[in-house]
Amino acid sequence: MERMAVSRRTFLRLCAVAGLAPGPADGADAPKTGGTLRVGFYIEAATMDPHLSGSKVDRQIYHNIYEPLVTLDTKLGIRPGLAESWQQPDSRTLIFNLRQGVKFHDGTDFNAEAARFNFNRMKTEPKSVRKGEVANIESVDVVDPHTIRINLKKPDAALLATLTDRAGMMISPKVVQDRGAELQRNAKGAGTGPFEFVEWIRDDHLLIKRNENYWNKQGGPYLDRVRYRPIPDDTVKLQSLQAGEIDVMDYVQPRDVAAVKADRNVVVVDVPSLADFAYQLNHMRPPFNVKALRQAVAYGLDLEQIVRGVWLNVGVPANGPVPPTSWAYDRTIPPIKRDLARAKAKLAEGGQPSGFAFTLTTNNIPINIQESEVIQAQLREAGITMKIKLVDSATLLSDGNSRNFDMISYQWSGRPDPDGNTYQFFKTTPGTSLNWSGISNPQIDTLLDRTREVANQAERKRLFGELTKILQEELPMIFIIHPVEPKAFSPRVQGYEPIPDGMMRFKNVWLR
Amino acid sequence: MGRLVLHRVAAIVPVLLLVTAGVFALLHLTPGDPIDAMMAESVDAEAKASLRQELGLDRPIHVQYATWMGRLLRGDLGHSIRNGEPVIENVTRRIRPSLELASLAMAVSLLVAFPVGIVSAIRRNTALDRAATSFALFGICMPNFLLALLLIFLFGVTLRWLPISGYTDPVEEPVAGLRSLVLPAVTLGLALAAVITRTLRSSMLEALAEDYVRTARAKGLSEWRVIRGHVLKNALIPVVTVLGLQLGTLIGGAVITEYVFALPGVGRLVVDAVFARDYPLVQGVILLIALGFILSNLLVDLLYGWIDPRIRYR
Amino acid sequence: MAGSIPGSDIAERAPAIARRAAPAPAPEQRWVVLRRAARTRLAPFGAAVLLAAVLVALGAPLLAPYDPLEQNLGQALARPGRAHLLGTDNVGRDVMSRVIWGTRVSLVAGFGSVAIAAVVGSLLGVLAGYAGGRADGLVMRAMDAVLSFPPLVLALALGAVLGAGLGGVLIALGVVYTPTFARLMRGQVLAIALREYVDAARALGAPGWRIAWHHVLPNAAPPIVVQASLSVAFAILAEASLSFLGLGIQPPGASWGSMINAGRGYLQQAPWIVFGPGAALFVTVVGLNFVGDAIRDALDPRLRG
Repeated sequence: MERMAVSRRTFLRLCAVAGLAPGPADGADAPKTGGTLRVGFYIEAATMDPHLSGSKVDRQIYHNIYEPLVTLDTKLGIRPGLAESWQQPDSRTLIFNLRQGVKFHDGTDFNAEAARFNFNRMKTEPKSVRKGEVANIESVDVVDPHTIRINLKKPDAALLATLTDRAGMMISPKVVQDRGAELQRNAKGAGTGPFEFVEWIRDDHLLIKRNENYWNKQGGPYLDRVRYRPIPDDTVKLQSLQAGEIDVMDYVQPRDVAAVKADRNVVVVDVPSLADFAYQLNHMRPPFNVKALRQAVAYGLDLEQIVRGVWLNVGVPANGPVPPTSWAYDRTIPPIKRDLARAKAKLAEGGQPSGFAFTLTTNNIPINIQESEVIQAQLREAGITMKIKLVDSATLLSDGNSRNFDMISYQWSGRPDPDGNTYQFFKTTPGTSLNWSGISNPQIDTLLDRTREVANQAERKRLFGELTKILQEELPMIFIIHPVEPKAFSPRVQGYEPIPDGMMRFKNVWLR
Repeated sequence: MGRLVLHRVAAIVPVLLLVTAGVFALLHLTPGDPIDAMMAESVDAEAKASLRQELGLDRPIHVQYATWMGRLLRGDLGHSIRNGEPVIENVTRRIRPSLELASLAMAVSLLVAFPVGIVSAIRRNTALDRAATSFALFGICMPNFLLALLLIFLFGVTLRWLPISGYTDPVEEPVAGLRSLVLPAVTLGLALAAVITRTLRSSMLEALAEDYVRTARAKGLSEWRVIRGHVLKNALIPVVTVLGLQLGTLIGGAVITEYVFALPGVGRLVVDAVFARDYPLVQGVILLIALGFILSNLLVDLLYGWIDPRIRYR
Repeated sequence: MAGSIPGSDIAERAPAIARRAAPAPAPEQRWVVLRRAARTRLAPFGAAVLLAAVLVALGAPLLAPYDPLEQNLGQALARPGRAHLLGTDNVGRDVMSRVIWGTRVSLVAGFGSVAIAAVVGSLLGVLAGYAGGRADGLVMRAMDAVLSFPPLVLALALGAVLGAGLGGVLIALGVVYTPTFARLMRGQVLAIALREYVDAARALGAPGWRIAWHHVLPNAAPPIVVQASLSVAFAILAEASLSFLGLGIQPPGASWGSMINAGRGYLQQAPWIVFGPGAALFVTVVGLNFVGDAIRDALDPRLRG
């Protein structure tokens, strides 16, 4: 069986040429209009209201029917979206010049009033899940019908990147006012995107159709409709694609990647992601309240073996929370290398020269189980006994939030700005938070705050590099892999441009 | 007879009470919380707290149970936490695929079980019987998810004759709908066929051993007349019993089949709801499934008692 | 689900309902029953399978060619061959060794859960049968309640509460099967307590527990045994189903069910990961069914003579 090896260099190169779309080598085909694209996701969307959404799958659909103020390009650069341009006269003010002539699908105009309405809703709507993301926004002023000024409480260099996703998406105020809670199930007329919401038959499919009045006349949309179907079982999903029942699959399991790449009925696109998969260590109780023991575990792990044997090289070993796709990635910092001698030394330093035992809590899915078994075997060689506790996701969240774990698996889907992969996990936070480890380190706190204050990207990169080094020392988390998220398509699908946030945008996609 | 009915119907209430109390207790003992599950990537404690308060999840357990029971008595099963829709709507939306799957599976099983069961009883201990019994055994002992995967692999991927996942509404598109149900119906139906074959076989053997059969044979009636006239009718009683009971369990019990074939049925609904800790949905659906099961049991028991007056149990 | 097939135990009960009016065999006939069971065609095969399974389970350390936990990532997904009779799995572990060791887990899961159910259920059934009245009503309503639960969901919920692992599975399946035994035992108690010799014993002044021990239990035993042997087969299948939905034995230990589940994604590339344990599962379940069938057939008064 052929194994595709993705070295770090290849990974980075993949990021660079991520703009390559599947298609004929001559590229002489002109896009055709028409057809229904059938997409298979592992789970159904939860809600059609971006302000109330907490799930990753929702975003996939949002990026086709709603539009944010700014968007990402293939290199994670920030590009104009509904905002044509922006300025920052000082570190606490952000001015957006909004695009003119854009209408929501219900016919109402998109303008500064609408934008302000959206920001206010995010901040004040009781069930809003975006509150944390826009916490730094003090107020939004309408300067003129197509200009808004956002006043920040503190400088926030990461805000722009946050506005490329749900926090920046604009919903029609009229739809919100007319429809209220029903917006969660019915988003007709609510967005400005290349596609419009048609219907959502729960547990069956969600349908969107081409927006004939889309403001951007360059390129697509070409497809008549896109139909999303939830298929929870990976094997069935893959077989559906191979059998031609769906055209697009959001994720190919590492174990299937080699076989799928060999299948000529299917085209695989490797999309390097923003994600980091790690294990959080509980600093608040034994054994991992002792730094040396944490380090013993880190030295006992062989990341290369895990990435090679479990993930089949669909990804690269991680050196920290910042993924290689990010401009902030510091390739001079290597991932922690296995060193059994140092592990044993750390054991002694931590007061457990003959080893110790702990429990790993992880999710009940095949790849997690496999990874934990490999880790168990690796740690055994270092003299550390690890028990495995399998739980379902709700229990995992509960254990994590209540800090009822020694070492717990955590898979973060990733955010375009490195702040999204770091701040909430490592900043000292009293009470319940995503900082499951409970780490409270003043050096880290200072660094995290600095990365938000500083606007200069090169400087921020340096700061994140420092952060990564400290994280390797303090180990609130042990990072394992930055996965590649392979997406699979029928050969009929043309024009797909993969963006590292993993979101599938179908604006310029067409069917042969 | 009337007293029996009344007695049995009255007994339903305490059973349902026990079921609902049991579900409630189990759910709230399970670690995990629906709000956390829904808003996994957010740490907005305020939003979560206000949602919890709105849904009454912050009140003590017995208060929550009492509130739920109160609503129930008014006919309100509550709303799903995940999608905000009434529980009743969630169920009615999912019940049809489950019912269609169940009836199709039954049809498949009867089509297979009848000839096999009857023949194996008549030709007892011959090669035919042994083949039939082996088949029955195979059906019972085969894990249904394994069977499902094999069928998918064979008919879906290799031969590409049938769709391997998803559900097309047979009411809207009869042909495509039926095709989407064939593989799951066969998976369930084969296992069911095995059970019915055995039941039919053993009940036929019993009936064949009856005195009146000997009498009929002695009178010179042909074997076929004997069977058709006397044996079959009596042998069918337990089979009907089994079928009735199966229908009750099939709705909520086809979980694995629904999972593997991605069918939007009731079984998958409740398991997904358990994973998401969607308390009202789990409670409502289990109550309905339990009610359905109890009613079908009751019906079968009463039917049985009515048909065969010899069997009257306390 | 008294098995992977919903209500299949009820299928067995249906003719038994008719037989409730018929008397259970008297104690001296027990040996006759066993001899008859042994004569049934397939019983020897079933017994052989059962014996083999138990021997394999007990002798696992000696029989398994490799350490079932030993990973060898370089040898992952190797085809069956001389080095590995059933090939290797996705982390290079020998499938044959894991199947052998898995016998222990599956048998413990099967016998353990049925034992729990049989003991608890029988106690409840005796209680209900003897006490009568309100206690009887309460117990039977509780049993009905458990039976009305979709079994897989019940097991899932129980497992989530109890925590995954063999203990959780045993208790969860034990709870699911208890009502069957409770009902059975209660029926037996009611039928036997009507018997003349019990009346005679009572008239002679024998205390209740004595009657229970000497008369009721020995006569109630055969149907319980039959039910137990059939249930074990289904319990083993049920554990496999639970693994499929994410409950069950903790890694790296493996039961056949969790092996099939883990190998599911590799069905096309490496089907031996599924078929090794799958075949073991199937054969064991078939064997147990034969044994149960043989005993049941032999007990049937109508088929005698």
